[in-house]
Amino acid sequence: MAPKRQRSDAAAATEPPAGMRRSADRRPVVRRRTRLVRGPLTIGDPAPAIAARLATAEPYRADTLADGGEVFGLTVRAASVRGLHKRYVGGPRQDDLCLRVHVDIRTLIVAVADGVTAAGRSDLGAALAVRHAAAAVARQLEHGVVQVNWGDVFEHAAWALVEEHRRTGLADAGVGIEGAAGSLATTLTIAVISAPDGPGVSDLVDAGDRGDVDQDPVRVQLAAVGDSPAFVLVEGRFEPIVGEGEPVDGFVGGGVRALPRDPRAFCAGACTLGPGSVLLVCTDGLALPLADGAGEVGRTLARELASPPDIVDFARLLDFSRSTYDDDRTLIAVWPQRPQ
Amino acid sequence: MKLSLPLSNPANHSATTGPTSLAVAETEASSPVPSPASQVSTPTPVPAPVSGPADLAAPPRPAAGQVIGQVLPIYFVGDESHSMRGDPIAAVSHGLVDLRDEVATHPLIGKKVRFGIITFADTAETRLELSELSEDLVLPTLSTRGRGTSYASAFEALRHTIPADIALLKVSGFQVHRPVVFFLSDGQPTEKESKWHERLDDLKDPAFKERPNILAFGVGDADPKVIQQLASSPTHAFMMREGVSTAGAIAEFAASMLHSMVSSAERLDHGEQTLEFEKPEGFVQLDAPLV
Repeated sequence: MAPKRQRSDAAAATEPPAGMRRSADRRPVVRRRTRLVRGPLTIGDPAPAIAARLATAEPYRADTLADGGEVFGLTVRAASVRGLHKRYVGGPRQDDLCLRVHVDIRTLIVAVADGVTAAGRSDLGAALAVRHAAAAVARQLEHGVVQVNWGDVFEHAAWALVEEHRRTGLADAGVGIEGAAGSLATTLTIAVISAPDGPGVSDLVDAGDRGDVDQDPVRVQLAAVGDSPAFVLVEGRFEPIVGEGEPVDGFVGGGVRALPRDPRAFCAGACTLGPGSVLLVCTDGLALPLADGAGEVGRTLARELASPPDIVDFARLLDFSRSTYDDDRTLIAVWPQRPQ
Repeated sequence: MKLSLPLSNPANHSATTGPTSLAVAETEASSPVPSPASQVSTPTPVPAPVSGPADLAAPPRPAAGQVIGQVLPIYFVGDESHSMRGDPIAAVSHGLVDLRDEVATHPLIGKKVRFGIITFADTAETRLELSELSEDLVLPTLSTRGRGTSYASAFEALRHTIPADIALLKVSGFQVHRPVVFFLSDGQPTEKESKWHERLDDLKDPAFKERPNILAFGVGDADPKVIQQLASSPTHAFMMREGVSTAGAIAEFAASMLHSMVSSAERLDHGEQTLEFEKPEGFVQLDAPLV
């Protein structure tokens, strides 16, 4: 902290009042005051303003998680925000995310999970699933695996839930997989992003696929159990990579696959990220209002994510207010280049 | 007892109900990562858009920017036949007022629920079009009419009303959840069984995309075996306990319908989509085989 400068009363008397300074021609110039912008970003009709209750769950679960940075020439932003309903009732955020950097093989592993509300401790389930899945992928990569064995990854995450259920003895929900499903059930979506000059890229990407980009493309493998989808945002369009697809009979909702019960019911996909595209991995708290991306939410996201926002701005963007949408929201965005 | 009931009909999970179910089923085993031949490869290829007359046959999609919210349509289908005269019909009216006030003042669910009222006696009548429950919404005054109890007319009314209501919601830009019907009767149908059964089958037909989830409640002289057939799932049927007054049971029913509406709407977009329902105190669940 800079030391305070001693000033004489005479010097102080010649200075303009607070908030003003004098330019060279002695005219007073109004200095812009720095003010915090308050309140959520509103998209369309706002959701009602409510006083959020602090969540009481153990272990501690923050209302909002914001993370991000640069790695291997990629720019990452990640946020998970508690939904309005959980804020209203004081429940914990049941979404979670994990970022894991594998320096040796220049690979970024990202995961999101959406705890199933009916499972009493799905906040814990989501937290365990993302961490164990990322670790399982990392172990495979360390052993030289190029194409991720997703069945193994989801089995590991499911095992972590069953093991936690056994360890904590939440017997009221039963035992084994069904017991763990009753208390810790969660969706899980993982993406493995290989930086351009990382090993294995040349094995996976056809030479012809690189023709229209300035540099080697960023290679992404992903898989999901449940309805937490991934998209590539390119030229304002949200191209789905993994997810549960169109609603049954035209209705939204209607059941979701989850761990630990469905580790083999995964949906896998792959894509490459060229300049100007953004990988988005999210939970349905965002995917539902986003819909096909052609509406107000999609337009707002496309505009604001054209370049990486600051980490905290990214979380504020995700925490937008929109009538009838009050679920937890989680979003990880990866740009295949550093900010300009 | 707190029940967690699947909101979707069992038929939803059949692999034969549509391309979405099929697409998920295809990934059941270890799914190979598709060849990265293109920039974006999806596991379920989306048909290329076609132009010309084929577009006319395609289901209408909301125009860009039209998705403005999500709603759960809920219908109360109540008996207005003569036997409901007096305290029972008054209990229904009282319960509906409480429901309106509670939902309207809840900060989060008022906008997510649309509520409609259909009553039946000799005929069925729509007493409240599917509406947002605001505090100033004027509810209909229910009163007994006629001597008959036509379940067929109630099912037929639902079969016609629901698709129109859903189409209107979608055109207005809403994402719609599968509708829920709370069916309440104090008597047995006064028409041929084949007639009401045929209409019920139409309503529950898996090919009828807008088929609702039906929770059926019997009070008074209702037949448990009939009530059990109405529900869309064996766990969705309830019969008043012996020794409970009809009006008292209706009050319990109304409180449970309200609770179910609040808790279901609260968790509407929370992934697993279950219909939360707490069995009314004065009722028994009819999911066990009746002898």
